[in-house]
Amino acid sequence: MVSGLTCGKLASWTIAAVLLQILGLSFFMIGFFPVKPTLPGFSGPESYRMPTCEPVLNAQDSELPPEKLRSFYKELSKVPPSYDRLVLMVIDGLPAEFVLGRDNKPPTKTMTEAMPYTQSLLSAGKARAYHAKAEPPTVTMPRLKAMVSGAVGGFLDVAFNFNTQALLDDNLLDQFKRIGWNLVMLGDETWIKLFPKLFIRQDGVSSFFVKDTIEVDFNISRHLDAELAAEDWNLLILHYLGLDHVGHIGGRHSILMAPKLKEMDDVIMMIHTHTILHQRNNAADTLLVVVSDHGMTSSGNHGGSSYEETDSLALFIGLSIENSDSAFNVPMSASQVDVAPTLALLFGVPIPNNNIGVILRGMLDSLTDEQRLRALQLNSWQMLRLLQEHSPGLLCGNLTGIGGDIGLLTNQDVDSTNEKLGYLFSKATSSHNMWLLRQTSDVTSNSNDDLELAVSSYYKFLGNASEWLSHRATDKPINLLLSGIAIMLISCILQLNIVFKLFKEVFIIERKHFSLSKELNQVWHIDESFTLIGILIHVLSLGASSMVEEEQYTWHFLTSTLFLIFLLSVIRSSLKTPASYFMKSNKHENNHPLRKSLSNEESGPTTNDKSSRSKQLHENYQASLILLVLILGRVLRGWHQGGVNWAHLPDISKLLIQTGDFYIKAFQIITLLGLMVLGSFAFSLVRRRISLVYIVWISYFICGFLVLLHIIDSQSNIIGPTYSSVNSMAQIIYICVGSVILFTVFVSPWVLPVDHEVGSVITGLKSSSQSNDMQSSSFLLGVRDCTYLIGTTFTVFWCLLQLLLQQRINDIPVLIVYLQEMASIIYFSSYRTKHRQWVEVAAMYFLGMTGHFGLGNSNSLATIDVAGAFIGISNHSTVLSGILMFIITYAAPLLAFLSMLIYISVKDMNDLLPNHPGLDTLHLMIGFPCLLPLVLNSVVLVAFTIILLLMRNHLFVWSVFSPKYLYLCASTVCVYIGVLIIAFTVVYTRSVLAVRSGVKSSLYTNSLDTKSVSDD
Amino acid sequence: MDNGEIAVSKALALHLLCTLGLAAGFFAAGIAYNLSLVTDPAQTLSFLLVFETPIVVASYSFVRRDHDRPYWEAVSMALFGLPVGALLNALGAIVLGAPVGPKYWISTIYWSCLMSLFTFVPAVCVFGWSRMDWQRIIANSKPKQATDCLVSLPAQGAIVGAWLGAWPMPLDWEMPWQEWPICVTYGAIAGYIVGMILSTVFVHVMKNHPHVKDD
Repeated sequence: MVSGLTCGKLASWTIAAVLLQILGLSFFMIGFFPVKPTLPGFSGPESYRMPTCEPVLNAQDSELPPEKLRSFYKELSKVPPSYDRLVLMVIDGLPAEFVLGRDNKPPTKTMTEAMPYTQSLLSAGKARAYHAKAEPPTVTMPRLKAMVSGAVGGFLDVAFNFNTQALLDDNLLDQFKRIGWNLVMLGDETWIKLFPKLFIRQDGVSSFFVKDTIEVDFNISRHLDAELAAEDWNLLILHYLGLDHVGHIGGRHSILMAPKLKEMDDVIMMIHTHTILHQRNNAADTLLVVVSDHGMTSSGNHGGSSYEETDSLALFIGLSIENSDSAFNVPMSASQVDVAPTLALLFGVPIPNNNIGVILRGMLDSLTDEQRLRALQLNSWQMLRLLQEHSPGLLCGNLTGIGGDIGLLTNQDVDSTNEKLGYLFSKATSSHNMWLLRQTSDVTSNSNDDLELAVSSYYKFLGNASEWLSHRATDKPINLLLSGIAIMLISCILQLNIVFKLFKEVFIIERKHFSLSKELNQVWHIDESFTLIGILIHVLSLGASSMVEEEQYTWHFLTSTLFLIFLLSVIRSSLKTPASYFMKSNKHENNHPLRKSLSNEESGPTTNDKSSRSKQLHENYQASLILLVLILGRVLRGWHQGGVNWAHLPDISKLLIQTGDFYIKAFQIITLLGLMVLGSFAFSLVRRRISLVYIVWISYFICGFLVLLHIIDSQSNIIGPTYSSVNSMAQIIYICVGSVILFTVFVSPWVLPVDHEVGSVITGLKSSSQSNDMQSSSFLLGVRDCTYLIGTTFTVFWCLLQLLLQQRINDIPVLIVYLQEMASIIYFSSYRTKHRQWVEVAAMYFLGMTGHFGLGNSNSLATIDVAGAFIGISNHSTVLSGILMFIITYAAPLLAFLSMLIYISVKDMNDLLPNHPGLDTLHLMIGFPCLLPLVLNSVVLVAFTIILLLMRNHLFVWSVFSPKYLYLCASTVCVYIGVLIIAFTVVYTRSVLAVRSGVKSSLYTNSLDTKSVSDD
Repeated sequence: MDNGEIAVSKALALHLLCTLGLAAGFFAAGIAYNLSLVTDPAQTLSFLLVFETPIVVASYSFVRRDHDRPYWEAVSMALFGLPVGALLNALGAIVLGAPVGPKYWISTIYWSCLMSLFTFVPAVCVFGWSRMDWQRIIANSKPKQATDCLVSLPAQGAIVGAWLGAWPMPLDWEMPWQEWPICVTYGAIAGYIVGMILSTVFVHVMKNHPHVKDD
């Protein structure tokens, strides 16, 4: 009890700090990714009435049968539906630039030639096109939601993109269903997830098999003939994924792009000729709407907020457009949400109540002037209702008063924004009334001017309201954010303080033991200062968006430099005179299995000469270990190019994929065999080979064999649904791995023999009696043996699991990360390393993070391996696939944490651990391995939170910084899990062994050991 | 000279010569062939090598520690040390992530030769095979003698400079100089020059307080 730092105190402070961190993090998350107020329920007939200040009681009108409701709406709205049938064709990932060109310039020649029919429609004025700006994040599901509901979701919608759940908010499709429409959906199964029971016919295709560009679209087009001939549907949704897949594979300028556009053009032509041109006389009018959910960057990715990604298309092809006289040739810019109110009014359903879109200009030209104004009025009323939800009391009382002043327009705070919107609304209403008055009073002179005034003032109100509402979605309560940051900062300081105290204590103990050697008295070593500088540089680098995108370089650079510094220190110590080591070398006992077997040649130094020769050997061996880590690290860096900007450059994985299936399979099997050999070697080093070890060993082989079968099996179906045999195989492996690990963790401390003989080897003890020494050392030895077995089980089974789950190309990287961790553990465990423990733990953590990026992960959500998350899951379960996704993504960091168990077991800590059994030594054993990752993560988390706050108006905040923040939160969870596993395993092992030795010793000696039980 | 003392003026002249060599290399490449490091890294690096190699070898061999060794021996050792140091530097760079494609081989070779001139060659010239000297220079982070400063500070400066020079490479500025090994070379040269300035200052300080480092 040197500094009064006890285990319990340490643990409670740490838990407090972690809880604080969670609290602060959730504050910040809630503040930064807000959930904005929305109107519940669906809009019904009340949407055709002027909004009032009293809360609207939902009338039972909406309970009417569909047919009646439809006519009721028709009667109320006074805007007759222009069409009866709608074909909504979604082309995933089509940038509007391909069809409409950019900056008023026509599209490139190849693009024009690829879509001849569409271009002819456009130039003939038979179609109206818009650049529909999509809100980031530009991924499919939020964009579809925006189009059908007119509302903009928050950023966190992305997180649910892969885990789609039914859309419960008001939306067009449900409105259509209410008036008795029949809906048919062909294409992306996201629609089915959004609307599980809505369609009378559906054929969903999965977007997971990104490499397939033909089948996905053929699966839709094969139904077209039948569907176009059928008359039972009112809404036909076609969602083509192929173009997005082409982009993902080859980017915008892929050679597959022009054929794919031609295919889309053929579909448009087919629909147009079948349904619109050859309409049965006076039968249902059909409108074809071609939209894209988002664009793509030149490399074919999407998700961000660049022009290339947000520039999506909205193209309307229908009779009323052909008939309307005003021929717009210049495509207008609009917003993607504008599609929703436009379609609602064109088809005579209420506008969805959370809509922030504005009727597209030019789409209602076929209506009469009165109807146009009525449509705008309905849109305004709906928006006003939503505004009132955001700021209650808006426009109450003075709805008609035009007390507004132009001066108000310049003020920016919320109140005056309200007043400004109120003023604009009143102005629009009054000019509308004015126009109506003029119509009735037959004064025709200024009628056109009045109309223009009314239309423009409605649009002005709508535009302002829409903008304000969409800003509200991204508005952030600064107080919540700041308090979140403050709490996280406090937690971080608390953690730093704990680590510093621990460091001081270790330093004092170290000093006692090494008072002879001079170099250890030096306060800072070069490796320590570099680790600190490296952490600092990493934190600073996160402020630059491209450094966040290319974080893999940062980690590889820092880790390699750290290991180069280790190499330097080995070379340095090999050049030093050997005499200074002689003192130390024979007071260490060589009792640990791993160390013993690996340093057999030097176990008995008797003369100075011999010792120096063995030292030379030993140093060569250490240097070769570090070189192994470095070279493997470079291979890992070359495996996946990674990042965003240079992701297209050649790397080993692309090379391997090109060489073909056979080689990948061969590499997979080689990796598996290598892992089996390494794992067996690791098991063979367990000192006391009791039957338990053999059980684990054998089950390891069985699992390996199962994984081998899985690898051979899964070759045949890379693309396509997973078969049930493969699924059940994977399930068996999960059960095997899980049960073996649980079995080892819980049973091994009870059965592993604790021997009492080895303790006598220890020399150089000062104050305690012999029997206590023996007991304590055998106790510690037992703990370490047990931890070694558990750690080895954890790591090798974890790697097996990764071979099952990871992409096929990632098998060797997994082995590389494993080898790196093991090599560094062997290096650290050799007793002549002079690194402080915290540097070693930091190095292992660094290796884990480098491995995270080495496995092809990046800070973009696009690199998450979704396909792997469904291995062995028979029915769609969000939780299970989420867990699998986490396991795949954080394979390397978690492996680093698991190998820290081995590190704890083989690290020579006899100098640190006082040899009194009553002493509380747990915190010296697991203090750094548990606390340091927490601190490192906490520092990065706090720093990046501040960066995110500062960058909240940055162009890349949604595409770069926010995804990184989600990754950071996930890695925080990863650190918590890792630390929990380490702490639990060691504490459990110690307690069990303490109980066991307590039982034994109470038979013949005193009950000193019970103290250590209570301490744990 | 035997205990590693050296006149400040001598150190200054040595460093000035080395700087001039670099400047002359850049100048010659720019004037005669209109080359710059950004547009033609490999050729410019070869120019730098042509000018810098004789200057470094000749001048550092002149300040060799063991004056009993003949001058030509130091020179030949240096010429032998150049490829060895280049190999070490190239390995270090590749391990830290330098690209290895055939496109970069030539530049990597030239760059590592230049780094060898900054780091390894001076040490070979000055110390030769003396194990004691090598031990001292590697094992101690702080130089204890004047010649140590002369060798180790510019070398450390060049390494740290090159390391720092690699940081802008992943940024998306799309500047031509972000290519390997251009900004790393700039960083190395900048660090080398800073190291030489520091070394001159250290030599001066040591001259005035000869025992400041022995404590």
